[in-house]
Amino acid sequence: MKRNLLKPGLTLVLATSLALGMAACSNSSSESSPTPQPTDSTQPPSEVKLNPEEPAWKLDTSPVDLTWFVGANWYGQTWGDSLASKYVTEKTGVNIKLEVPSGEANEHVTLMMTSGKLPDLISMGSWENAVKKLWEGDHVYALNELADQYDPYFFKVAGEGSLKWYRQENGNTYGVPNDSYSPTLMHETGMTAANQTFLVRKDLYEEMGSPDLSTPEGFLNALQLLKDKYPEYKGQPISPFFAQGNVPYGMTEFLQNLLAVPHEQDGKVYDRVTDPDYIAWLKTFRTAYERGLINVDFLVDSDTQVEEKTNNARYFMMVREWNGMAAVNPMLAASANPDSYYIAVDGPKNSKGDAPKLFPGNMDGWMVTMISKSTKNPERAIRFLTYLASEEGQRDLFLGKEGETWEMVGDKPQLKPEMVDLQENDIEKMEKQYGILDTYWMMRNPVIINQWRPAKAPVLKQMEDFANERADIDSGIYKGLDPQGDSDVAVSWARIAQNWEEVMPELITAKNEAEFDKVFDNFLDRRSSYGFDKVMEHRQTELDARKAKMAE
Amino acid sequence: MFQYRTGQMKALLKQWQLQSMVIPGIIWMFIFCYIPMFWLIIAFMDYSIAKPLFDSPFVGLKHFQDFLSDERFWRSIRNTLGMSSIKLILGFPIPILFALLLNEIRSLRFKRTVQTISYLPHFIAWTIFGGIALNWLGEGGVINQLMMAIGVQEREILFNSEPKYFWWITFFTDTLKETGWSAIIYIAAISGIDPGLYEAAELDGANRWQRMWHITIQSIRPTIAILFILAVSGILGSNFEQIFMLKNNMNMRMAESLDLYIYNMGLVSGRHSFSTAVLFARSIVALGLLFLANSTAKKLTGDSIF
Repeated sequence: MKRNLLKPGLTLVLATSLALGMAACSNSSSESSPTPQPTDSTQPPSEVKLNPEEPAWKLDTSPVDLTWFVGANWYGQTWGDSLASKYVTEKTGVNIKLEVPSGEANEHVTLMMTSGKLPDLISMGSWENAVKKLWEGDHVYALNELADQYDPYFFKVAGEGSLKWYRQENGNTYGVPNDSYSPTLMHETGMTAANQTFLVRKDLYEEMGSPDLSTPEGFLNALQLLKDKYPEYKGQPISPFFAQGNVPYGMTEFLQNLLAVPHEQDGKVYDRVTDPDYIAWLKTFRTAYERGLINVDFLVDSDTQVEEKTNNARYFMMVREWNGMAAVNPMLAASANPDSYYIAVDGPKNSKGDAPKLFPGNMDGWMVTMISKSTKNPERAIRFLTYLASEEGQRDLFLGKEGETWEMVGDKPQLKPEMVDLQENDIEKMEKQYGILDTYWMMRNPVIINQWRPAKAPVLKQMEDFANERADIDSGIYKGLDPQGDSDVAVSWARIAQNWEEVMPELITAKNEAEFDKVFDNFLDRRSSYGFDKVMEHRQTELDARKAKMAE
Repeated sequence: MFQYRTGQMKALLKQWQLQSMVIPGIIWMFIFCYIPMFWLIIAFMDYSIAKPLFDSPFVGLKHFQDFLSDERFWRSIRNTLGMSSIKLILGFPIPILFALLLNEIRSLRFKRTVQTISYLPHFIAWTIFGGIALNWLGEGGVINQLMMAIGVQEREILFNSEPKYFWWITFFTDTLKETGWSAIIYIAAISGIDPGLYEAAELDGANRWQRMWHITIQSIRPTIAILFILAVSGILGSNFEQIFMLKNNMNMRMAESLDLYIYNMGLVSGRHSFSTAVLFARSIVALGLLFLANSTAKKLTGDSIF
């Protein structure tokens, strides 16, 4: 009797357990190999005669859909609703479907690579591991080969400099960068694309009497004053400090730049983490934590929490790139507390009081755009990229349509005043409705578009000027010397870097200086056991190679 | 079913319409569970996803040696076992108790409402639920407010920055989210019990506690045993989404579970062969645990999966 009663329940359990088992099994299915790629599924070049002096997109403007992966999970634009994108689609026939990663771009692309299915166009941060894998794994077309075949005009517009910069050992170039700045350009124009700034909330900073933040003593005193007198300010609880990108960026590379820690000494790559000034400042942060002047919120907050605090101007100071404030600062300036926006001031400095040496833009640029071999329309893709890289394409995407968003003033295109107004007051509407200026930045070329750029709002210009003045134009070459990919030395570096992310919080929360030193020494030991020597060698080789390339 | 023992084949043929329903499931399992096993081969190679499979060299047990000598691997084992043990020892009885309590509710409408509300959180993705939990635990969060209001703590604690709290945070958030859902299976088992048993017991003078103990619990014992066996074999697994959402640089020391370690090594650092080796080893241990738990359960209670 009892047995029979149990059966329905038992069957249920077994069914569920089977289902659970299946779900568990399915995890392993992500470990499949890349399916073989069609190397070249396209027809032989059409009969049309290609003219290297003429853009080839005009030959075929029939409608075609291309997917475009943009490796930034915060990127929220769409294609086809805004004026500029509609105009470009109308003109070239190319309709774009924008895709963004749900999490980290690097992981997303790695997953897509394993599945063997990639979007037609891929834009990714030039520093990302996956870029190298896409190139080495033959997942993307050599742009020079595609251009030879379908659109030789590409060579005319892509810029010999950046093509050469990204040329691989096999003579091919697989990607075009955006925001690529050559040192000559920066010296000529004074526009350095430097982003790194040290920001403080203006009204609070001024009410505190513009305290000195550049020495450890001044820094601690200011924090003490903040704690004693302004735990709340204008109705908001104040968080004293924030560092962008957490440990690996804000508290490491960025802070080192503020302290003007050298990258190189007597031709040898310098181990910046062990720099005495840097360590002295980490100890300052430790002291601040010990005294309860800062909390560890900047090490643990999620992006949403950070955004919430930023939007309410709840941070007193920030180690942060100013362009991340491009939307927030005007908003704060227009809020009920018009002086609650952020201004760039001198932050932590080294013991000699040197000015910061901030990263400028560099030849690597920001993102590189590639054409994947999964695309069914490589000829349309390369022609589209050529168009976007050309002055015409840059203008269409940056300014929009003549007569509607811009007009000729003399012999120079100029944005209509209402657009400039919109940019200052309702950047979201401008992006959604018109899609001009920095809405579609994937192929943005500063050399061409900066001449059209309207003057920035003063609350942004202050930060930009600050960064430009302190940019170390020739230091672009030191950006991203670390080994990437899956070589042994890259694995060593990944282990060290991941360990540093855990060690840094321990340093800051260490009970006393002795413990700080102990934790740091342990880290150094661990680092060398992971193979740090090889990493330094790699950095040196990479730096030498870059110098050689620059000298060419 | 037992009367067919002599003519099982005949019975099978007679029920072919019903039996054939299982075929898609078997095909599915073959494609998604058995074929991928072939790729475990990359655990023994220096595999690069950029190249075809057999262009990569075989390296034997190199990756196994590598992870066994990585202190971070052992740390992740410790964390996984810690979190799983808490979940197993403290967490396992909770849905059972919940189902029993629910079963004692007289008002049907109230019972249904409670049940529905209790399993709703299950349908919220961890990405959302984790974000909510972080706000509760953070500065100005409800937990800090509460603790300060009742005087347990004086100043705000960033709970998520203290490694020592992490295991408990995973336990409590998981309990909060999954209790109702996990209870469903017990509720289903309880509803299969013959009401006649309760009536008979009542006539014999058994009170509610006695009925609960002698009828309800005894009747769902096999269900409990089977779920326990499965839980034990899953002790090396962890809730990846949950930990991924709640971890940060400060609590990483206690948060990195085996799953997260595999993820960090495989996808973040791009060491595919290495992480496959870890996964492979983990699966073997899990299989061993399954057999162990099964035979133990068989000995102790007479109930088992196979």
